[in-house]
Amino acid sequence: MNSLHSFSGVDEHAVVVTRVAERHWHALDDDLVVGRGEAWHRPDGRTFLSIDAWHGPVFDRLADAMLADLPRPLYTVVDEADLDVTSHWERAGFMTRRREWEYLVPTAGLGRVRPSPGVRIVAVGEAEEGPLRTLDRVLRAEVEATVGWQELPAEVLAGPDGDTVLDPSKYAVAVHSDQYVGLVRVVPVRRQARIGLIAVRADMRRRGVARTLLAQVLGSLHGRGIELAWAEVNESNGAALALFEGIGARRGSSNLELVLG
Amino acid sequence: MATATGGIQLEGTVVECLRNATFRVELQNGHKVLAHISGKIRKNYIKILPYDRVLVEMSPYDLTRARILYRYRT
Repeated sequence: MNSLHSFSGVDEHAVVVTRVAERHWHALDDDLVVGRGEAWHRPDGRTFLSIDAWHGPVFDRLADAMLADLPRPLYTVVDEADLDVTSHWERAGFMTRRREWEYLVPTAGLGRVRPSPGVRIVAVGEAEEGPLRTLDRVLRAEVEATVGWQELPAEVLAGPDGDTVLDPSKYAVAVHSDQYVGLVRVVPVRRQARIGLIAVRADMRRRGVARTLLAQVLGSLHGRGIELAWAEVNESNGAALALFEGIGARRGSSNLELVLG
Repeated sequence: MATATGGIQLEGTVVECLRNATFRVELQNGHKVLAHISGKIRKNYIKILPYDRVLVEMSPYDLTRARILYRYRT
């Protein structure tokens, strides 16, 4: 695919926007790539866009070309502090759909949390793969039947055959009556760790299972010398906000999900 | 038909996280540049921190500005 889209004048140079592949667009100034656009499909079925450009007019031309080629709705994610990029997308017609707060979670200070009755925690890397995958499927079915993954901040990664537990070694689980009832996925990244997902089966919520899971995981990270973890939380997810604020997490930056309907 | 190329890519180290989602990156040659993150970094929820070693693409229009394309694992 190599379709020519538009011409534009930027700093007295002619910039040409070309769709160079199914999901990639380039803005060319002579033979120099001065802007790139990409579209990708998330497993939840939505199409997200990103544009990197050195100048606003180039960004606008790339956006025009991509929007002309792609069916709507289209989505993108921006750092709310990045006012320039946010305003570029807004100029293209995108509107804020939801906000994710980044919570910074100290790994110390949570102390010993009394486990919810009958619940024990299996540490990160020690969960059995079969029951873990079963729990993951149950949780995802519950989410799909209620709010849907589009409302959740964690990016949904699916592997072959729709498998979403790509690396079982990154999970800790809560066990009740010999069944896995809750999970947390944590990825250490040198001096910090990312809490990518925490979820508890619907019939086991409001019993402190998530807090018990977090306490175990954070304590383990602290023991390994990792002082801080972070997680993205949807602003409208009151339970998740209460969970993280209840353990002393503080808000850092924020991401906006923008949509063009 | 000539092959299109991007800007010059260089390695550097993040020395400071600034406001407006920008970072100060010290290149291997000692020069410091102001860098934004690329869409791919944001797409993958990759967090950039001080002391991270990164690959940046220099702006062809302004050699004090760059874009972070990749964060090295070590």
